[in-house]
Amino acid sequence: MASRGAILLGQCMPCIKKNASKIRIRHMELDKNLNMYFKKDEYFFAHDPEKVCKTGDIVLIRELPQRLTRLISHTVEKIVYPLGDIIDPITGKKVVVGKYRDEIEDANRLYGKSEKAFDYEKAPPRGRLEGTRDFTHGETYIKYHEDGKDQPFAV
Amino acid sequence: MNFGKILRTSSVHWQLARDYAFKSDLKIKWVRPEKLPCTKPEKSGDLGKLPSINEKELRLDFKNSKELQDADPVVQSLFQLGNNPLAETSRYLRDQMIKEVQRHPLDYGSMEAKLARMTVRIRSMQEQLDKFPRNIKVKVTLKELIDKRKKFLKYLRRWDYRRFEWMLEKLDLVYKPPPTKFHWITRKESLQKLTDAHCEQIKEERLAEYRKVLNEQKIPFLEDAIKKMEFVHKEQIDLEIPLTVTEEQIADFKRELEYLKSERETKTEDRE
Repeated sequence: MASRGAILLGQCMPCIKKNASKIRIRHMELDKNLNMYFKKDEYFFAHDPEKVCKTGDIVLIRELPQRLTRLISHTVEKIVYPLGDIIDPITGKKVVVGKYRDEIEDANRLYGKSEKAFDYEKAPPRGRLEGTRDFTHGETYIKYHEDGKDQPFAV
Repeated sequence: MNFGKILRTSSVHWQLARDYAFKSDLKIKWVRPEKLPCTKPEKSGDLGKLPSINEKELRLDFKNSKELQDADPVVQSLFQLGNNPLAETSRYLRDQMIKEVQRHPLDYGSMEAKLARMTVRIRSMQEQLDKFPRNIKVKVTLKELIDKRKKFLKYLRRWDYRRFEWMLEKLDLVYKPPPTKFHWITRKESLQKLTDAHCEQIKEERLAEYRKVLNEQKIPFLEDAIKKMEFVHKEQIDLEIPLTVTEEQIADFKRELEYLKSERETKTEDRE
């Protein structure tokens, strides 16, 4: 099993481990009783010391010949789709929902683009608000104890 | 009563004991977090407040009216925000906020504009609810609106991450994803979690202590090992036996010792 170096496609999940990313592999499992398929999640920890993949990214992971630690069994091979930065694989253009970004920009220009509006060229890369406004890089929990300290991930 | 266990208190006496309610001896104090209504800004993620408005500002529809500019001051005052219903102020604020984020001057339907409009409505409703806490209609609408805005933020994050971040900054919001599983807060479960955290902390402390002890033994051990290796090396040369300890190995050990010593010195300097 270990020597085959299998490649898996999965989604990165929030993870507190220092040099690993938690990857969710989702597949459909047949329930023979109901004759229906149901989602089944499998989690793998991939070695990722620089934390290249962020929560929600679609990544390829490759199986290591040997387990690095008790948990880490894979390495991150490639980030296929970063979350919220989708590229259409056929044309290679960036997409937002059902439209190309260029088309949206063109429409804005026709109407007269507002100066205060969001600009892709000026916008810094993802991750600058982590821990201040955007708490999606970790798992939130329901607050169960009041200890006087600040609990950023408590809801 | 559930007496599952018999305790022997002394050589003669026996006592029935309940076995199901385990009570910990640890002095962990659990404080139940106060219930915060979901309509409060701390819960809904609104960091900012509505801007204070100039009461002499004219109503939205009559802002550019030329007739009003030359009109009598009494007539003008009829169109000021302070002399009009609160809804007019809300409308004015909504328009201001949308203009901050809209893509072009005619854009009132993009996700940014929708979020801006919702945010102003939420904030004005929150103010309203503070004044009249028993206004159930406002409370329900507010709750629904907050949930809807959260859903829209979730979508925007998935579609266009950088725009989502920009929106959070513009509207002064905090986004926290919902917890994976809902559960009620109970004393038992909370105490279990606190006890686990306590045990983990003890484990860490003891490990750190032991690591320190082991690290302190490193330098004496290396010094001793180098001395012995040098002795063995010398003896093997003298007796002309095949060498098992080479000079390279000794040099390696010496290098490690030097490194450890220099590291310790830098640490003590840092402390001073």
